[in-house]
Amino acid sequence: MKRPFRELSVLGALVVLLVTMAVLTPNFFDPQPLLSRLTAAAPRLILACGVALVIIARQIDISIGALFAVCGTCAGLIAAAKIPLAVAMCAAIAIGALGGIVNGALVAGLGLPSIVVTLATMVTMREALRLQQQGVFINLPDTAQWFSLPMRSGQFVICGVALGAVLSLSFAVRHLAAGRFVYAVGSDAEAARLAGIRPRVVTFAVFVLMGAMAGLAAVLNMAQSPQVDPNSGRGMELEAIAAAVVGGVSVSGGRGKLWGVLVGLLLLACVGPALTYAGVKPHWERAIQGAIIVLAVMADGLRNRMVAGA
Amino acid sequence: MKFRTIFARHETALLGLLIAEILYFSFAGRRFGTADNISNIVRHSVEIGILALAMTPIILTGGIDLSVGSTLGLCAVIFGKLWRDAGFSPALAACGAILTGGVCGLLNGALITQLRLPPLIVTLGTFSLYRGLAEAITRGVDAFTNFPETFLFLGTGQFAGVPIQVWLLLFLAVGIWLIVHRTVLGRSFRAIGFAADGARYAGIPVGRRLMYAYTLAGLVAGLAALTYSARLGTAKADAGFGYELLAITAVVLGGASIFGGVGSVHGTLLGVAALAVLNNGLTRVPAVMNVASELSGVLTGALLILALALGALPKQLAAWRARRQISRHSI
Repeated sequence: MKRPFRELSVLGALVVLLVTMAVLTPNFFDPQPLLSRLTAAAPRLILACGVALVIIARQIDISIGALFAVCGTCAGLIAAAKIPLAVAMCAAIAIGALGGIVNGALVAGLGLPSIVVTLATMVTMREALRLQQQGVFINLPDTAQWFSLPMRSGQFVICGVALGAVLSLSFAVRHLAAGRFVYAVGSDAEAARLAGIRPRVVTFAVFVLMGAMAGLAAVLNMAQSPQVDPNSGRGMELEAIAAAVVGGVSVSGGRGKLWGVLVGLLLLACVGPALTYAGVKPHWERAIQGAIIVLAVMADGLRNRMVAGA
Repeated sequence: MKFRTIFARHETALLGLLIAEILYFSFAGRRFGTADNISNIVRHSVEIGILALAMTPIILTGGIDLSVGSTLGLCAVIFGKLWRDAGFSPALAACGAILTGGVCGLLNGALITQLRLPPLIVTLGTFSLYRGLAEAITRGVDAFTNFPETFLFLGTGQFAGVPIQVWLLLFLAVGIWLIVHRTVLGRSFRAIGFAADGARYAGIPVGRRLMYAYTLAGLVAGLAALTYSARLGTAKADAGFGYELLAITAVVLGGASIFGGVGSVHGTLLGVAALAVLNNGLTRVPAVMNVASELSGVLTGALLILALALGALPKQLAAWRARRQISRHSI
């Protein structure tokens, strides 16, 4: 068994960052702001784990931000029509899965490259939302926020659901045959086929799961605010991919751990506040995020080169 | 020879689509066919056209560049910064902007070829990086305006009755057409797209050729940044947002295979024209005038999916038939 060197080094960086913050700005660890920050990161965590699976299967999905917004908007419209909240939430997940079916059918069924397919579905969904909503926010009934719980328990529920989803998924990809299939297809689809796995079915399933997780993320996001923004999720696909890549998921497929994604996401989520404390202006945020993605991808490439050279 | 016939069919179909669009909008739209509006359409499609022309060789090699829109934004901001804050003359600042684009493209190419990384992940990262740098330089809000008349002439002036930037587009189109269809370099792009390893065994310096393609895209994005700023009279960090998708759509509509090896520059130009006419025509149809930009976005995305699906369907059907034949024989 190889040591998860990459994941451990990211974990090390996270610990160093947290310790530095603890020394320099003790109020970073005040329970309430910390819980709020974690709650705000919960939808991103779900998306990041979903997209990590997609990347492990050697595909990519950049429509997740748009799908997230579509799910949130549809669930918001349903909830605003006085239909029970539980129905709206199930509908969000179902609509997400439907979006995943479309992507999956185009990618696995027709053998099209996922980057162009999801680029096209991203734009189609974004523009359709703009057409339908014209940027108007949807007001949710009062019961929707925090699942009608007190704010604090609501936040715990959201974090708990996100963490539970990640842990069960992490277990599934490690110990269930279906989970191993994803790795097998990602590292060599032809070898997987010869071993009796159907790569197209696996790819399709991964996209459907991704869609359903985008729906779940939209539910967790919806429960945090009294309104739904039809423009939400812009750029979230990049944050999710960045978290996955920083967390050690290999862009050439077949390699990665979901706990690494969790660590990567926490690291990225801490970089923003840390920079603010360090006095860096917020307009640098996107540049730094991009630089982090490029550096993480470069590390991946260097590792591959060393493996190939050795 | 077979590929050539498929090609011819594809481009004829696209030409048919373009003519159908023009006919429809001339009847349903108001003031669509006026000289003013036609000049408007070509002016507005120049940047997309330039980017799509540069994207064609990249897609021919089987790669993709998602960062061209962000490169355009960064170059526009660099141009404004050099001209206004560093006191450069417009011509010198323009050279600086094009050079910046070249560096951006070179970085993409270096990452892709030297570290053997997939182009889509590299350019997805630089998509974010270049746009972020543009935002950082302008502090997110700054916009450069009040360019001198000599520079604005590039975006609003005419030469022999045709807008200046259209001459530029034609010049580039001829240049890139010659490179892609009439030189060894162009053939090597196709060879790499068909089979990169095969090309390497045939003695083609694959890495260097790819570097050329990505650097060219960067340089050309810098040029597009200039016509963009000159046309709008302002340079902001959000310049060219989403243009990469339009450029890719135009190339794919134009008959290029996203898997590489197949495609043509004239096809790309037809694709650009089809998108530009659609985009402009919808603003002229009274029924959808108010939602024209959203609707044209939806239609562009749907058109891209349709073009991709139609392109892949025959191959899938053939594979499916072959599989069925094999299983029948084995029984």
